[in-house]
Amino acid sequence: MSAAGMRCPACGSTNIVDDDLYSQAQLVCVDCGSVVSEGVLANDPVGGSDVSFSRTTAVAKRPCTNLIKGQQRVKAICRILMVNREIEDLSQTYYKMAYEHKAFLKVSLQKKEILTGCCVLLSCRQLNWPITVGTISCLLDADSMAVGAIYQEMVKNLSIEAPIINVTDVIEAHCHDSLDVPEELAENSRDLTKRAVALVELAADSWIVTGRKPIPIMMAATYLAWQSLKPNKHRLKFSLDKFCQVAKVKKLKSAMKRVAEIKEVLCKLGKEIPWVRETVTPDNVIQLVECILQNRYALLRRAMRTHEDAPPEGTASSQISECADQTPITSFESQNPPPNWGKRVLFAPPCVINAKKRRAVQPEHTDVTGDEEISDSEIDSYIRTPQEARDFEVNVCKYFVLMEM
Amino acid sequence: MDSSNDEALDIIITNVVATFRTRCHLNLRTIALEGTNVIYKPEVGKVLMKLRKPMITASIWSSGKIICTGATSEDEAKLGARRLARCLQKLGFKVRFSAFKVVNVLAVCSMPFAVNLINFTKNNRPIASYEPELHPAATYRIKNLKATIQVFSTGSLTVTGPNVQNVATAVEQVYPLLFECQKPRCK
Repeated sequence: MSAAGMRCPACGSTNIVDDDLYSQAQLVCVDCGSVVSEGVLANDPVGGSDVSFSRTTAVAKRPCTNLIKGQQRVKAICRILMVNREIEDLSQTYYKMAYEHKAFLKVSLQKKEILTGCCVLLSCRQLNWPITVGTISCLLDADSMAVGAIYQEMVKNLSIEAPIINVTDVIEAHCHDSLDVPEELAENSRDLTKRAVALVELAADSWIVTGRKPIPIMMAATYLAWQSLKPNKHRLKFSLDKFCQVAKVKKLKSAMKRVAEIKEVLCKLGKEIPWVRETVTPDNVIQLVECILQNRYALLRRAMRTHEDAPPEGTASSQISECADQTPITSFESQNPPPNWGKRVLFAPPCVINAKKRRAVQPEHTDVTGDEEISDSEIDSYIRTPQEARDFEVNVCKYFVLMEM
Repeated sequence: MDSSNDEALDIIITNVVATFRTRCHLNLRTIALEGTNVIYKPEVGKVLMKLRKPMITASIWSSGKIICTGATSEDEAKLGARRLARCLQKLGFKVRFSAFKVVNVLAVCSMPFAVNLINFTKNNRPIASYEPELHPAATYRIKNLKATIQVFSTGSLTVTGPNVQNVATAVEQVYPLLFECQKPRCK
């Protein structure tokens, strides 16, 4: 406010000057010295300023350090797996999207680390690069169940669809040249892959693959393929344990079971080869593997036909009992399970062949109530003889003595 | 209703979980000392009571909330819950049976054919999910029925839902989808 045009209320003079006292603006009359008007000490608005403190001190927004670290980790994983540029870029994009999604904003750092692996897994699946959850969990040093859970959550939150990988695709990636093995154990990786893939296809046709974890199957197929490429005594004696040690992979317990199952299937097919005279057992079937795999479809057809022709009367009777079991409406009561189809066909999943017997509820004896008449001839069997009475007393006394102790 | 099949599909209910309230505070120590067939778990703060006649196990909390598991039908669950409330009444508590609700029903079912899980998942993409490395079954979640169906490659199904009617409807809904992805049993 300027001093011009103002009159001092005390003396009426117009001689008013700006005379600031420290930081306070004051208008003072020169003649009488009274203060005409004064401003406030500081010009802050009431209730705080409109601009917040953090905004006045803010710098340009930078991405969170964990996001940067995570993206570097994603890049590292991609480089280790040697995937192509597209997959790397896609996984970086996914990681950024997932990190900023509200579902993953406040999760623990460990989960964010697992999220990096899941992004790589997702982009590999979308661009048809076969890797397994097991590989990712190995790289992250995390439990594969945890990786799977976060992967499913991420897919749900980001609403992305990813195709499922096939075992045969992954096996090609897993059979690679092992350079530092002795001469008699080495094998050409292309031949090994071809044979292992053929074995996996055969296993898939005979119900060994569905529902099982893919890695033990791949291990079993690779082992059997390697054995069958040069079936000499040394290789046949080489156990799965030693094979895994040489290949520098961790042995899995279920791989042994898969080896046994695949050998069983190979035996069933080996029996059908017309020119084989001796009986085919799991020990000597490895030599025939090449032959079996080359003609596997023909052998499968032959085996089916032989199995159908062989005991038709056994299967017919089980079919009749099955029809009687079924009721015309959807029922909710437990019944005796019909004879399972695993016994009828040649190839069936092992869980159906060795089905667990469900414990059936025992029918209670409803016809005996305890109030029946006892005839004279039978009454003797219900009354104790004197000897029995004495034995009973002795035993009861002993029991009570024991209880008191 | 069963328009897609003329054979029977046995849906066997294996477990029904129900909760109810007794509207009064329960002294767990008294129940543990004087009740029959009880297991006291002080570290969790509950008592487990097992009944024989409908074979059920109940978790009893001191607030009066009780969870009954192990029944094989909704009626059996209610009967067991009432019997349990009567047992508690005989022990001396002023029990009033209220807020009975069946919370979860678990049923199993077997299809007369095997299912190709990969095709099934491809056809029903966001609703069905299948990770062979994690679990051998494909999971199909029906949002409006709040039911989850786990489909195994042998054709067996495990269904969980909030009540028996939902479970039956879920099986009816999923049957045609499974039928078109069936795998011939003799290959």
